[in-house]
Amino acid sequence: MLEIKNLSAKVVDSNINILNKLSLNIKEGEVHAIMGPNGTGKSTLSKVIMGHYSYEVTSGDILLDKESIKSLDTSERAKKGLFLCMQDPTVIEGVSNSEFIRTALNERSLEKVNLYTFIKEIEKSMEEVSLDNSMLHRSLNSGFSGGEKKKNEILQLKCLKPKYIILDEIDSGLDVDSLKVVCKNINNYLKDNKEASVLIITHYPRILEYIKPDYVHILSEGTIKDTGDMSLAKKIEKDGYGGYNE
Amino acid sequence: MSKEIYVIDDNESKEYKYNIEEDTIIYHFSINSSSNVEINLDKEDINLYYYYNNINYDDNSFNIKVNHNKDNTHSEVYNHGVNVSNNYLTYDVEGIVLKTSDKCICNQDNQIINIKNGKSTIKPNLLIDNYDVDSNHAAYIGKFKDEYLFYLMSRGISKKNAYLLLLKGFLINSDSIDLNKIDKFVKEMNKI
Ligand SMILES: Nc1ncnc2c1ncn2[C@@H]1O[C@H](COP(=O)(O)OP(=O)(O)OP(=O)(O)O)[C@@H](O)[C@H]1O
Ligand SMILES: [Mg+2]
Repeated sequence: MLEIKNLSAKVVDSNINILNKLSLNIKEGEVHAIMGPNGTGKSTLSKVIMGHYSYEVTSGDILLDKESIKSLDTSERAKKGLFLCMQDPTVIEGVSNSEFIRTALNERSLEKVNLYTFIKEIEKSMEEVSLDNSMLHRSLNSGFSGGEKKKNEILQLKCLKPKYIILDEIDSGLDVDSLKVVCKNINNYLKDNKEASVLIITHYPRILEYIKPDYVHILSEGTIKDTGDMSLAKKIEKDGYGGYNE
Repeated sequence: MSKEIYVIDDNESKEYKYNIEEDTIIYHFSINSSSNVEINLDKEDINLYYYYNNINYDDNSFNIKVNHNKDNTHSEVYNHGVNVSNNYLTYDVEGIVLKTSDKCICNQDNQIINIKNGKSTIKPNLLIDNYDVDSNHAAYIGKFKDEYLFYLMSRGISKKNAYLLLLKGFLINSDSIDLNKIDKFVKEMNKI
């Protein structure tokens, strides 16, 4: 279970408070969605969970399976099964996609990943997310289109097999067909990994038609203002967030 | 096929002069060394790729001068350095296109990563006496961006290995480099 308890966070070396006593529990196998106006702290929440260097937790806690991860660095958190699909994946020149994924895999497993098996498996995964094989040898996200970057995040997810998945606007920048492909991959992943849970950050209910959420939360002013089911997402689409701003 | 030249400097100070008359790739690896390089592009329509990769500890400098002596000559110079301690590292990079050399391409990419608080300087110079030239230079001095480390670490790569990936991507910046030929340099890189 991923538990966020009364979490407040600010930008490091500033007095910009972004998260304000936010609480959220995500149990094994559950799908949660967070919606909310621009600039209210959705991406910040995802980065704070991941231990991003720009933010400092001022109070509250984050627990994975009852254990606080607050003092762990980003890579230790990832090794515990957290995975963040970023809203805007980073471009790194000179580091190839395949070397990146293989290094990540090697650090997780006890024995070194066999190169041949690795290539075979990753090529299969690339086909499933409809990414061209040549992207494996290119620099990380360099020159990738918006949609290709998102698919590359899903490719990493499939390889690294996390237990707690956060998707920050995975649907933005994807065309209709790509959105279907991405959602199909996530659904298959969830089917194969029953204990995995997902937090979907989105502005549009459409992705939630494909990946059915158990809960929909409204995040505004750094905290969860309301929780409901799919009907809440539909209501927001129709009425906007007017009712949540004081 | 281009001609390939490998050069490794290890704690020394050296001068190099090349008069080039065919497509050439030069991989110059430098460990804590200073060097002076002069290149003459002496035949029309030839390409030069120069990869200078440097690990620095003490006060050192690197000067490279590329003379475009003929029409339609093309040079791409990539100078990448990691300045490990707090010393001086200076790159002086010159591209010279004569008035009589038409349609040349002359590009430079200069980058120095300071691991601590190294005093690094890049002096790019393009002396171009011809209007019909395509030329660009990029320069960066600084650290690896935190954003890079975060992204790598967010996939479970330790800080140490994330650094190593970045260093390797930065210092071995071409797929065609034969690692067997630069064993010494790779070993040095793993020590940073
Ligand atoms: N490092 C930072 N320095 C200063 N302000 C920041 C920083 N990070 C986030 N903020 C501010 O915090 C607020 C929340 O940002 P965040 O990215 O979490 O919004 P969001 O809910 O994800 O919005 P969107 O829907 O547009 O993606 C914004 O006003 C943003 O400008
Ligand atoms: Mg956001």
